[in-house]
Amino acid sequence: MTATVPIRCTVNGRPRELVVVAHHTLLDALRDDLGLTGTKECCLVGECGACTVILNGRSVDSCLVLAAEADGGTILTVEGLAVDGRLSALQQAFLDTGAAQCGFCIPGQLLAAHALLALTPHPDRAEVEEGLAGNLCRCAGYEQIIEAVLRAADEPAGGARAVEQPMVRQTTSDPAATPDASVAPQ
Amino acid sequence: MRPFTYERPTSLAEAFRILEAHGAAASILAGGTDLIIRLRDGTVRPEVVVDLKAIKERDDGLHERDGRLVIGGWAVMTDIAADARVRRDFTALAEAAQVVGSAQIRNRATLAGNICNASPAADTAPALLVYGAEVVATGSGGTRRVPIDDFFVGPGRTALGAGEIVTSIELPLPPGRRGGVHLRRTRRRGHDLASVTLACAVMDDGRARLAYGSVGPRPLLVTDESGVLADSTAPAEARDRLLDRLLGAASPSPKSMRASPAYRLAMLRVLALRAADIAARRVAGGAAA
Amino acid sequence: MTGPVGSSPARGGGRDRVTGHQVYAADIRLEDVLHVKLVALPCARARILGIDATEALQVPGVRLVFTAADLPQPAPRFGPQLRDRPVLATGETKYHGDPVAAVAAETLDAAEAGVAAVRVTYEELPAVTSIHAALDPAAPLVQDAALRPGDALAGRNVLREHHYAWGDLAAAEAQAEVVVEGSYTFPMVTQFAIEPHAFMAAPDGDGIVVWSAIQHPNWLQRVIASLLDLPLARVRVIAPDPGGAFGGKQHAKYEPLLAFMARRLGRPVRLVLTLEETFQAVRRGASDVHVRSGFRRDGTLVFRDIRADYLIGAYADIADRTVAKGSYTSAGPYRVPAVRIVARSVLSHTVPSTAFRGFGNPQQIWAGESNMDEAARTLGLDPLDLRLRNLAERGETFIPGDTPADGRWAESVELAARLIDWRKPTAPGRGRGLAVGLKEGPTTGLSYSIVRLLADGSVIVYAGTSDMGQGARTIFAQIAAQELGAPMEAVTVVMGDTAVVPYDQQTSASRSSVLMGNAVLLACRKVQDQLRAMAARLEQVEASAVVVDGGTVAIGERHWPIGEVLARGLGRLGGELIGVGEMRKEALAEHPLGGTAAFYEFNCTAVEVEVDRATGDIVIARHVTVSDVGKALNPSQVRGQDEGAAIMGLGHTLMEHYILDDAGRIRNLGAIDYRIPTSMDLPLAMESAIVENGDGPGPYGAKGMSEGALLAIAPAIAAAVRDATGVVIRELPLTPETVWRALQDPVG
Repeated sequence: MTATVPIRCTVNGRPRELVVVAHHTLLDALRDDLGLTGTKECCLVGECGACTVILNGRSVDSCLVLAAEADGGTILTVEGLAVDGRLSALQQAFLDTGAAQCGFCIPGQLLAAHALLALTPHPDRAEVEEGLAGNLCRCAGYEQIIEAVLRAADEPAGGARAVEQPMVRQTTSDPAATPDASVAPQ
Repeated sequence: MRPFTYERPTSLAEAFRILEAHGAAASILAGGTDLIIRLRDGTVRPEVVVDLKAIKERDDGLHERDGRLVIGGWAVMTDIAADARVRRDFTALAEAAQVVGSAQIRNRATLAGNICNASPAADTAPALLVYGAEVVATGSGGTRRVPIDDFFVGPGRTALGAGEIVTSIELPLPPGRRGGVHLRRTRRRGHDLASVTLACAVMDDGRARLAYGSVGPRPLLVTDESGVLADSTAPAEARDRLLDRLLGAASPSPKSMRASPAYRLAMLRVLALRAADIAARRVAGGAAA
Repeated sequence: MTGPVGSSPARGGGRDRVTGHQVYAADIRLEDVLHVKLVALPCARARILGIDATEALQVPGVRLVFTAADLPQPAPRFGPQLRDRPVLATGETKYHGDPVAAVAAETLDAAEAGVAAVRVTYEELPAVTSIHAALDPAAPLVQDAALRPGDALAGRNVLREHHYAWGDLAAAEAQAEVVVEGSYTFPMVTQFAIEPHAFMAAPDGDGIVVWSAIQHPNWLQRVIASLLDLPLARVRVIAPDPGGAFGGKQHAKYEPLLAFMARRLGRPVRLVLTLEETFQAVRRGASDVHVRSGFRRDGTLVFRDIRADYLIGAYADIADRTVAKGSYTSAGPYRVPAVRIVARSVLSHTVPSTAFRGFGNPQQIWAGESNMDEAARTLGLDPLDLRLRNLAERGETFIPGDTPADGRWAESVELAARLIDWRKPTAPGRGRGLAVGLKEGPTTGLSYSIVRLLADGSVIVYAGTSDMGQGARTIFAQIAAQELGAPMEAVTVVMGDTAVVPYDQQTSASRSSVLMGNAVLLACRKVQDQLRAMAARLEQVEASAVVVDGGTVAIGERHWPIGEVLARGLGRLGGELIGVGEMRKEALAEHPLGGTAAFYEFNCTAVEVEVDRATGDIVIARHVTVSDVGKALNPSQVRGQDEGAAIMGLGHTLMEHYILDDAGRIRNLGAIDYRIPTSMDLPLAMESAIVENGDGPGPYGAKGMSEGALLAIAPAIAAAVRDATGVVIRELPLTPETVWRALQDPVG
């Protein structure tokens, strides 16, 4: 029988109660139990940072935290960065500088940067490089990512600012649609 | 990951009972940054994982007590690296803690966990050796203090007894002006496992303590009472001869893919001299320890 | 030009990428799905004696242990160049990680437990994992000769040999006053997309749906249809935007396996590779290239004689094409009167190599440009002057029978030299290096696009390109917005579904802005034609009197916004205008590559380094990269691609390589011991610049540009190390230990 552990935690401001498998990680719980797939899975050894979330105010690799360890904890994932649909200053800066290319590492980069700025509101470039060194970007958009973090740090209001900006809308037909569901391209 | 059960004792006594009941089938979970990798790759296959973080005696802070700096067994690298006393009085430890993985890793990894894993490449080990740290180990039979040099036995092996937990690590405050530094070799500037990791502390009278890891089964401590190591004006041959003695016990594994023994040994010499010079400058500058 | 083209509007899909809502393949949840895990052996090569699934099938939740015996017989094979890859290993495994079975279970945990319980009996066999070992006449054959009927090379581990030559080499050799030669090695490296490959398949009536973050959805559709003997119309490929691909997601890997399993089970199946498994699925070919170049004393190239061996893997994949194409331009962007190039694809018991940004060229450019640097030294000439003396000029044919030089390449080189202060003295302890890279763009192409101008003036663009980070979605939206006068926020780009989006040959070779971009542009022009006809009808003039440009419709002095004409023209029933664009780049049977270059990617990289002579550390103090892009349709995205390619190239230059043990197993499997650049490994200063002369074949004069900045980084850094230390290094990566060893024993 697979051992399970009941846990309570707050995820993106919302209290959650769930029963997690003892040997599952926080990453597993977020993605599979809570459906918060913005947190990404890549190396599973704490090297790439794609699974970075903020647990009790500190950035962690959620692949190296058991789900059970999150009991009583407060978790922020990428889905919790925007408030009421308004992007945070960091998110906006990432968008404005073109920091996101394929985008797969970006949730982790954003949370690592969020944690960095919480601790060091006005970092210099070296501090940003160090603060994000646990987040690999294979598009290697590091220059634009660093620029985005420095730009967000310059924002007077810090993390809460949001700017509406025209976007290219993106649509694929619902990739999860069942095969015989009708295809609506919009 | 293979299935296991999860226990979260709320007191040391409860933890000891659980650890005793499960013996070798239990793995201790502190920060988890090493354990969870091994759980996944199957090199550790416990029946039960015992998470120590809810223990009420948990100490994750840094305190000064009786002429010693006490680093709680639950203190994480981030806090150690940022601590003003550590940065001032135990600079090499602060520098070592700062390079243990990424920010995310340092937010979870504990100093106690780092030494309990007893990796030959553990970055904090050389600093603890040069500063003469003592490990406070607590078990159901009580508490004992183990000098750090006796704590490391071999790769993955420590002097910790079955069911014992490291509850703190203590560092004697510097007896006088001291300069310290941690240096390492890695394959990239971003975080990496060290192929040589080394700490040096130099007293204002020129005596030096040097410790190095990742060049043998366990980190090693050597001392120089002559003052030659820390004397950048000493004849090169004299320092070379001294290094032959100080570094003679290094025996890097030929099996590692991170660097060849020849390179490690050569870098050990380079780093030893650079570290001694930096530490000597720092003690002269009087700003750091 | 005014309008969105040439500006940098926010990335298409950018908002979803910063909010975590972008749906990648592994984020898709299918009802009733079974989880698949692969069973592989801990050795490079083995004879499979038996697979016992009894225990595995007793694991609660395990539904199927699938082996080659479960496939139609003879076991189906596939591959873009040679149908040599079995759906599952058949009889013999041929590389470390070659799967012998797959377990499907109700949960991932059960699938993992099932894998652990599958008992495979096997006999380990000798493996060849190096060029040298594979070419030994006594070496075991990697490929069953029966898979290569009529192939004279079938009895050897050489898959193919490519010969290119022009001019009179013997005569040129006699004219050469200085000959410089050397051999240069390039290691096995892996794409390491941060998104590991994810695949799903589900039965769909009598057809099948396959999900894969694949670069070539239409190609995959064809592979699956052929293997399953289904009409194309019964195979639907859904291709979510890849989370990085870099060539490693061009061709089918485990999609066929999943398709067979889904049909067998009658349920959806899902396989997400671990990062370790991606190392065992895709890599770049390693190489050993020997270059011999002859010069006049003044530096004029008179011949180049190049022999290249590429270590490809156990199955061909697209590897031999990377050899063919990478070698074809290996004489460089130079005017060389006599050239002989021989390149071989050498099979081995290693992970099948495949496309990887640069496509066979970085290996050759590492050799050819390092050779140029050595030649400059031998000739006593400035390496910059040596390049400038020999560079082909725009319009000049430099490879007989192929597209002439399509850019003022010297302009890029001179700009790079200026930005790195080439003519000024270097600070003590530092060294500078410079190199150029040339890559032949796509040689054939076929892209269709449909553009729908809706009644309110908003636009839907259908384009089968995969947006894997290069930003194709944004570019197509910009083109449509430019041509149809729609604001960017009123343009939607639909990609990644073969049931919806028309055919595109592939997303590769930095082609999409040019080929699909032109298809989108042509589709927009078709819509403009209809607008012209509409306006002519409404205003009772000849269509030829109507001009549609920049979002307005004009007749003489009168003009209207497109939306106004559209509303009047469509009338009460509404409706829309639909344009179809088709862009072809035809094949040429007699061309050695099957077609000429649609364009060339040209880049000049210049660096200034500092070398720690005691440790071998290289610090890149300054890094300049200049690409000839024709026209930057989106400067921010151009910058991202340029700088990203440059930094990615630092990986294979400084730190990346597979380390194999004696048994051919990959020792540094995974992120702990396979190092790639982090944010702390960047040059201390980086400058990316572009040259825009509007001389590309793409929309508004654009060229493809996503690979250029990776091409020449290794030889530029090695040249700078040589400049700083005097030591010549001919092997990659330039790890501290490698540099240190070279400094201990300088033979160069």
